[in-house]
Amino acid sequence: MTTLGTIAGVAGEGRRAHQTPGIPSNIATVARREMREAMRSRWFLLYSLAFAALGLSLSFVSAAAAGGMGLAGFGRTTAGLVNLVLLVVPLMGLTAGAGSIAGDRERGMLTYLLSQPVSRTEVLLGKYLGLAGALVACITLGLGACAAIMAWKGDATRPGSLVWLGGLSLALAMGMLSVGMLLSVLARKASVAVGTAVFLWLVLVFATDLALMAGAIAMKLRIEELFSLALLNPLQVFKMWSLHAADASLDVLGPAGLYATEEYGRWLHAIFGGCLAAWIVLPLTAAAVVFARRSPV
Amino acid sequence: MRGHLAILAALAWARVGLGQGPNDMSAPAARASAAQTDVNTGVIGSRIRSASAGDTIRVPAGVYREHLRIDKPLTLIGEPGAVLDGGGRGDIVEVAAPDVTLSGFVIRNTGIDLDHENAGVRVMAPRARIENNTLDDTLFGIDLRDASDSVVRGNRVGGKDLDVARRGDGIRLWRSDRTLVEGNTIHDGRDAVLWYSKGITVRGNTAERCRYGFHLMYSDEVTLEDNEVVENSVGIYLMYSTGIEVRRNRMIRNRGPSGYGLGLKETDRFVVENNLFVGNRAGIYLDGSPFSPRIPGVFARNTIAYNDVGAVFLPAVRGNRFTLNNFVDNIEQVAVLGRGSLAGNEFWVGETGNFWTDYQGYDQNRDGVGDFVHESFTLFENLVDRHPKLRLLLFSPAQQAIEFVGRAIPAVRPEPKFIDEVPLVRPVPVDAGRPAQRPDRAGLSLVALAMGGGGLALVFVARPRGMARRRRNNGGAA
Repeated sequence: MTTLGTIAGVAGEGRRAHQTPGIPSNIATVARREMREAMRSRWFLLYSLAFAALGLSLSFVSAAAAGGMGLAGFGRTTAGLVNLVLLVVPLMGLTAGAGSIAGDRERGMLTYLLSQPVSRTEVLLGKYLGLAGALVACITLGLGACAAIMAWKGDATRPGSLVWLGGLSLALAMGMLSVGMLLSVLARKASVAVGTAVFLWLVLVFATDLALMAGAIAMKLRIEELFSLALLNPLQVFKMWSLHAADASLDVLGPAGLYATEEYGRWLHAIFGGCLAAWIVLPLTAAAVVFARRSPV
Repeated sequence: MRGHLAILAALAWARVGLGQGPNDMSAPAARASAAQTDVNTGVIGSRIRSASAGDTIRVPAGVYREHLRIDKPLTLIGEPGAVLDGGGRGDIVEVAAPDVTLSGFVIRNTGIDLDHENAGVRVMAPRARIENNTLDDTLFGIDLRDASDSVVRGNRVGGKDLDVARRGDGIRLWRSDRTLVEGNTIHDGRDAVLWYSKGITVRGNTAERCRYGFHLMYSDEVTLEDNEVVENSVGIYLMYSTGIEVRRNRMIRNRGPSGYGLGLKETDRFVVENNLFVGNRAGIYLDGSPFSPRIPGVFARNTIAYNDVGAVFLPAVRGNRFTLNNFVDNIEQVAVLGRGSLAGNEFWVGETGNFWTDYQGYDQNRDGVGDFVHESFTLFENLVDRHPKLRLLLFSPAQQAIEFVGRAIPAVRPEPKFIDEVPLVRPVPVDAGRPAQRPDRAGLSLVALAMGGGGLALVFVARPRGMARRRRNNGGAA
């Protein structure tokens, strides 16, 4: 019974897959296996613990620093969490995606998987969804713990802004995972894919912003140009959207933020949403195209 | 006694009359009330007409669609449920005689004529007591003109639901010296403005969602204390005034286009103590204050926290003295606009400095004072001061990277903006009361449960196959 089901190890689903290998069930089976693998891996545990620990200490410190003066919640708990998400979540998404296909290829798993009655796109989508599930679990557990601490400490952060932050973190993770999958499909070796992913993370987190600052000063960019350029970086989009959702205004970001608020107003949600959606859909599509055409092994 | 009062009334009337003269530009739209024709025609109006000076009129519950003009020293007390309704026209109550008390009414629905400055209560004589009224849907709320020694206490004043440019002032004082404004709540109005009034006290009021919480113009020897000023465009703004004490006020989340918690423009001899400035666009804004730098501006024991900028100085400002203040996590603690310098302002005096959350040093001998000088310089702030548009990159990791570079490589370190030689390592207790804030614990718990539950559900879906098989076997056995 060498069906996909035995790989997944769920006999019931395997039988079904054997009888009628419907596309959704194939994807679901791959996804489930991928999620299980991911959750048992060390990187997942490490990232989850790091994310939760940093988030919790941040919530504690914010509450404690301001709490003594009765100012809990006027503090920047949300802004601090935004900063944390900006650092950790892209790294998680990029490396998880980069390791997936390339890693399987190195271990010979990919040949085995593709010998099953399942298309390459299904494998790719299944893997994407499985890893996405693992990331979602990691992020929601971390932020959920932060929310619990805030509730306990009486932090006056509005629940709504936390929900927004959670949702946007997930969107950012999906985007970065998508880019990671593309790297994974392109690279020959897992080490190359993960190395490139870490490099890309550095570029997105530090290099582009530093370049943007330098460029803005050297080329005397106008604020609307600066804002448009910032939209190219998914991390900036995430940051601006979180602040916008929490405060209904980007005025805290100075003239360029004020310009964006006044110029686009309620369209900002659509603009930010479009940018993040593009980062999710385009790299994943590219990955699927490349994966379908190239010899996978 | 009665004759005496009558003379006073006559005098007051004469002053009002003078105010209407063509050579007097000061009293705005003083003819407004003269245009009103149907005053004192209703039930309360006839009682006013037949009352004699010094009488007390008690008004039972009921809705009275009347416009009143109180032209003799009377006490009007509204029993619970007594409502004066202006029917959306003109002023509602005009106090034209001194020593009038108006208390306990609901006063609502003035006209919306800004030219005539339609008001809920307009006082045009001294020594009025306007107490415990609820004004709602009024263009101007309580408007005192030439009404010295009055008391405005315990009123709740709500503005019209109009664009802010078409609203009127919640409370306005005009040449009304020694007036006490106490325990009022002003919401959704334009400003509370205090013009040309000496020796007034503004205590324990709340101003929320207005344009200016309290705005002083040309008013000397004023005390502002124990007020809470929340979510206005600007909290308290002092202009062209001298001898001002600002104590124990709470300026919270005033975030209009200028968004000052407390702004001072060309103001002299001021003391700002024990206040709380939280979450404003700019906690303190200094423009030409102190005007004569020989008398220093005093800022002591204030907590200035979580503002975009803690204290903003215009370039030429000098002569301010900051000691024992807590500067807590403002995105920028102190800023100078343009290319000015902070030289000429002091951030420590003798052995007394301030508490700075961005202080990098420590206190080894445990005397409460940091062992190293606090030099305020951050490379990113320096960049942002020169290129404000770069604020767009605030809160991003690149910002921290730049700060790190600034600290690690002295060659790129900017000149310190200011120095505190004796920084405190613990916050100073500030006696400003606590802001009314309600953490939404239920909501946060719900978020925690939803997120945690979602995460755990996913972990359960992906539970190891061993568990699934065991469960199935158990199920089969049962």
